[in-house]
Amino acid sequence: MPLVMDCEITARQEVAEGHHRLVLHAPAIAAQAQPGQFCMLQVQPGCYPFLRRPMSIERTFADGISILYKIEGEGTRLLSAAHAGDSLNIQGPLGKPFPLERAYDRQILVAGGIGVAPFPGLAEAILRVLGKTPEVVLAARTEDLLLCEKDFRQMGCKVHLATDDGSAGDKAFASEVLERLESGPDTLVYACGPMPMMKAVHFVCEESGALCYASLEALMACGDGVCLGCALEAKREIEAERMVRVCKDGPVFDTALIDWNAR
Amino acid sequence: MAANLRVDLGGLLMKNPVTVASGTFGYGQEYDEYFDIRQLGAVTVKSLSLQPRAGNKPPRLVETPAGMLNAIGLQNVGIDAYLKHKLPFLRERGCPIIGNIYGHNPDEYAELARRLEAEQGADAIEANLSCPNVHDARSSQGAALVAQDPEKVAEYTRATKSATKLPVFIKLSPNVMDIKEPAQAAQEGGADAVSMINTLLGMGIDPETRRPVLSNIVGGLSGPAIRPIAVRMVWEAAKVLRIPILGMGGIRDASDALQFILAGATAVAVGCYTFRQPDAPLQVIQGLEEYCVRHQVEDIKSLVGALDIGG
Repeated sequence: MPLVMDCEITARQEVAEGHHRLVLHAPAIAAQAQPGQFCMLQVQPGCYPFLRRPMSIERTFADGISILYKIEGEGTRLLSAAHAGDSLNIQGPLGKPFPLERAYDRQILVAGGIGVAPFPGLAEAILRVLGKTPEVVLAARTEDLLLCEKDFRQMGCKVHLATDDGSAGDKAFASEVLERLESGPDTLVYACGPMPMMKAVHFVCEESGALCYASLEALMACGDGVCLGCALEAKREIEAERMVRVCKDGPVFDTALIDWNAR
Repeated sequence: MAANLRVDLGGLLMKNPVTVASGTFGYGQEYDEYFDIRQLGAVTVKSLSLQPRAGNKPPRLVETPAGMLNAIGLQNVGIDAYLKHKLPFLRERGCPIIGNIYGHNPDEYAELARRLEAEQGADAIEANLSCPNVHDARSSQGAALVAQDPEKVAEYTRATKSATKLPVFIKLSPNVMDIKEPAQAAQEGGADAVSMINTLLGMGIDPETRRPVLSNIVGGLSGPAIRPIAVRMVWEAAKVLRIPILGMGGIRDASDALQFILAGATAVAVGCYTFRQPDAPLQVIQGLEEYCVRHQVEDIKSLVGALDIGG
């Protein structure tokens, strides 16, 4: 059951230019949260910005959660002025988590830019629950925006780096690195990043026979399935049922269900 | 002593004057996880059409200063799925239901009203004659709404009324020159109350791409940004109507709700503010109780239209 509560910010740090991590004291939310779920953050009291901001949970701890985000607009810019000790109203956990599937030999996490946000928690869960060590494809525009690399290495994950400018790892897109890893029907791919990346990752998996779960992003007002503002086209037989809600039916979807050509 | 908050909204008896705006509360189930929805005076459900509707393509939503612009396009499960899958929860919870309906012509409104009554799917009908997001804004006709044509308002109202004994509310659009005209047309057509206001037509453009921000080009503006317009329109309509008004538009708290009541609304609906604060409707009810105690108001009905303009 999602909660709405005022939480104390226990830390806020800039992890790369324009990228921040918030650590929140929220034991009741942490106790329920699963990897891939998100929270709606009320940036500040009053009416501005009007809507809450949906943010993936990065990790959960005994007494709280962390959130990794990129400054995209006014709401995230304001959030980045918050200090440890400040209070933040959050709603969560919301949405469907990443399914953990024992039947697959290989688990590959494909992260593009700030899309890495839900993956430290997912990698931990795969290790803890399934006893498997996932591989990670970590892609970003430039080297300094490759986030959480150290966290994945500490967990023993093999990390494949890629940057758009070649400043670290391969000068390639995440989907191209994934292609080289030769996924197959024994592989479960988890993807999170910009929509064009996830579309490309979906088609790589479709080709190789890998199952792919992607965490999608959309503008949303309620975060809880009511407003229908975040709907996306899915592949459905019945025309009137073709829309899925990113917030409630997702944010994690089997990418085979999404109508990627509608985008 | 606690004040009497009970109101009679055109034949719908509500234990307090607070409901929710159609489309901001789904079919009740989601927000029941945040507060006990039985505390509401009524639950107003998302618009129901005879057939399910997929709604508009994304993007459907954009934030605006103190509000939001949406063009969902009446995506809904359709009346059959509502009666089968959504209604049992609401009936089990036992709250009065305002069944919001949307059709393409008067016959469809009549059919929807008839079915909701026959299958006990609602305790009152709210006919949505004012959704701005179901017309092609590219066409020369633009986004013409039934609620913009008083003759059509009367015709659709009569058709809906003739099909049911349930109270019928007509949901009006603020996108008119004079709100009194469609309001009076609804009254002449036999409406038991009017709901006002629906969203204001709006539009946003991304200068970087030179594209509209919504796929539908235009959308409906809601939120605190529109509240002063809604209060003014309720005040204007109340001066000429005998039937009660369900007031809405940007309500956040009891103070906002009281503006509508003092302007002439018998009951109020909390809309998209619930997205920001899921228990906002409950806080409005509690705030009204506190206000009545503080102002020694014994019966909230005494506040309806009690605006003091001096002189």
